[in-house]
Amino acid sequence: MRLAVNGRTLHKVVAGLGKHAVLLVVTVVLGFPLLWMVLTSLKSNYQSLHIPPVWWPHPILWRNYPQMIHAVAFYRFVLNTLMYAGLTIVGVCISSSLVAYGFSRIRWRGRDFLFQVMVSTMLIPFFATLIPLFVMYRHFHMVGWYLPLVVPTFLGSSVFSSFLLRQFFMTIPQSVSDAARMDGANELTIFSRVILRMAKPALATVILFQFIYCWNDYLGPLIYINTQTWYPISLGLYFILGTYTTNWPWVMAAATAATLPIIVLFFFTQRTFIAGIAIQGTGAKG
Amino acid sequence: MRATKEAEPQAAKMRRGSHRPRDSVRRRSWSGRRTRNGLLFVSPWVIGFLLFFAYPFFATIYYSFTNFDGTTAKWIGLTNFINLFHDPLFRTSLFNTFFYTVFELPLSTAAALGLALLLNMDVKGRAVYRTIFYIPSIVPLVASCIIFVWMFNPATGIVNDLLIGAHLPAPGWFFSIAWSKPSFILLGLWGVGQPMVIYLAGLQSIPAEMYEVAALDGAGPWQRLRFIILPMLSPVILFNVILQLVACFSYFTQVQVIENGDIGGPGTSTWMYVQYLYQQAFEYLKLGYSSAMAFFLFVISAIVMVLLFRSSSRWVYYASER
Repeated sequence: MRLAVNGRTLHKVVAGLGKHAVLLVVTVVLGFPLLWMVLTSLKSNYQSLHIPPVWWPHPILWRNYPQMIHAVAFYRFVLNTLMYAGLTIVGVCISSSLVAYGFSRIRWRGRDFLFQVMVSTMLIPFFATLIPLFVMYRHFHMVGWYLPLVVPTFLGSSVFSSFLLRQFFMTIPQSVSDAARMDGANELTIFSRVILRMAKPALATVILFQFIYCWNDYLGPLIYINTQTWYPISLGLYFILGTYTTNWPWVMAAATAATLPIIVLFFFTQRTFIAGIAIQGTGAKG
Repeated sequence: MRATKEAEPQAAKMRRGSHRPRDSVRRRSWSGRRTRNGLLFVSPWVIGFLLFFAYPFFATIYYSFTNFDGTTAKWIGLTNFINLFHDPLFRTSLFNTFFYTVFELPLSTAAALGLALLLNMDVKGRAVYRTIFYIPSIVPLVASCIIFVWMFNPATGIVNDLLIGAHLPAPGWFFSIAWSKPSFILLGLWGVGQPMVIYLAGLQSIPAEMYEVAALDGAGPWQRLRFIILPMLSPVILFNVILQLVACFSYFTQVQVIENGDIGGPGTSTWMYVQYLYQQAFEYLKLGYSSAMAFFLFVISAIVMVLLFRSSSRWVYYASER
C-alpha cells in the first residue's frame, strides 16, 4: 500500500519535471532573441562581428546607449511617439466610448445592422482604401504631420476600441440605466455620470492597447510622416538600421531602448492586458 | 465577431412589447427618440465611416479605371486590370503572399494552440511561463525584424554559428531565394502570443466535467484534443484565423524593414502584394494602377472571407446554439 502511494508520488514528480523541461526549452527558444539583443547592445563593434560569436560582452559597454541616443536624437523619436499616442488616446476615448454606448445601452432600430457594418470594416485590408485617403489628405495639406493619423481617431476609426468597450458596456445590467432614467437623467448624463464611471477598467484597457498600437505603428507614419524630426520610434528604428548598418551594437541598443519600456509597461499592467485580450476572444463566441 | 447575437433576446423582447395595447402615438415618439439618441451617440463613427471608409472605398474603385497621378484622373476603362494580369511582378507578389499565407496560417495556429495547451497544464509557475511566452508579441515589430535579421545573418549570426556547431547546413536565411520565405514564417511564429492568450482563455473556459466524462469513457489525450478541445475552441479558432488572414493580406512591414537594401529581394522571392502596391503608388505615383491592385485585393479578401464563413458552419461549434 505504502509502496504504491510512493510510486504514484514518484510518477507525479517525474511528470512534473517533464512538463517543466518542455516549458523551459520553449522559454529558452522564445526568450533567446531578446537576450541576444541586449547582449549585442553591450558589446564593442569588433566583438559583435567576431566569428565565432562572442557570447558575453567583455567589457560591458553601457556607453553604447548614451552614444546612440546622442547620435540620432533618440529622445525626439520617443517624444514624437508619446505625442502621437497621447493625441490618439484622447480621440479614441471620446469617440469610441460614445459609439460603444450607442451600440449597447440604447435599443434602436437598425442598431445591430450598423454594428455589423462597423465590425466588418475591420476585415477590409487597410490598403483597399489607402490611396484615395492619401490623395484627400494631401489635398487638405495634412500630409507631413500626424493629423491624418489623429483626426480619424476622433471619428471612431478605432473599431477595435469601440468593440471592446461595447462588450464591456453590455455586461452592465440594464437596471442601472433604468434607475438613472427614473431619476430623470437623460442619455448623456447616464453615459457620463454612470456608465463611464463604471467602465474605468475597460477604458484603461483601451488606453493601454492604443498606446502600444502607436508605439509599434510603422505603416501609418511611413506614409504620412516624411521629416526625420517628426519620426516616431518605429521609423526612428528603421532609420537607425539604415544609417548604422556597420554598428550593430548601436542598432541593438536602439532596439532595446524601444522594446524595454513596452515590456516594463506590460509587467505593471499584465492583468489589464490579458483581460483585454480575453474580451477580444469573447467576440468569437456566437 | 458575431457578438451582436447576444443582443437578440432584447430585440425579441422589444418586438413582443410592441403588440401590447398602448398609446401607439406616444410609443412611436418614444422609439423615435431612442433612434435619434442612438444615432447621435454613434454619429462620430457614422461620419468617420462615410469620410474615411465609404468615400475612399468607392474612390478606389473609380480610380482603378483611370490613369491617375494624384491630380487628374483620366478614364481608361479596363486597361489597368489588363496590364495587371500581364505584369509578372504582380503575379509573383500575388503568389508570394499566397505562399506565405498558406504556410503561416496553419503553422501559427498550431504553434499558438500548442503553446496554449502547454500553458494550460497543471504546473507551478504557470503565470511566469505565460508572461515569457507572451512577451515576443509585444516587442515592436521593427525591433523584432532587426533582431531576426541580426540573429539570422548568414555570416556573423548566432543561428548559423549554432547550426555549424551541430554540423547542420547553414542557409542564407533572409538573403537566399530558397530560404527567405521560411525565414519570414519563423519571424511570424515568434510573435504568436496574441492568439495564444486567446486560446488559453478559451481552454480555461472548458468545464472540467467534460474532461471527467471523457475520462470515464476512456478517452486518451488525443481523443480529448480531437473531440473536446478542438470543437470547444472552434469559434476562437475561426476568430484567430480571420485576424491572421487580415494580417497576411497586409503583410508589409517585415519585408520593408528586413530587405531594406533590396525590397522584395533576394530576387523577387519576398515581393508581397501590398509591397508592390505601395511601390507603385508612393514611389512611382501610378495611383490608378495601384488602385486597381487595391480593388483586386479587396475582391480576393472578400471572397476568402465569404468562403471561410460559409465553411465555418461545418466546423465551428457554438455551444449556445444547442
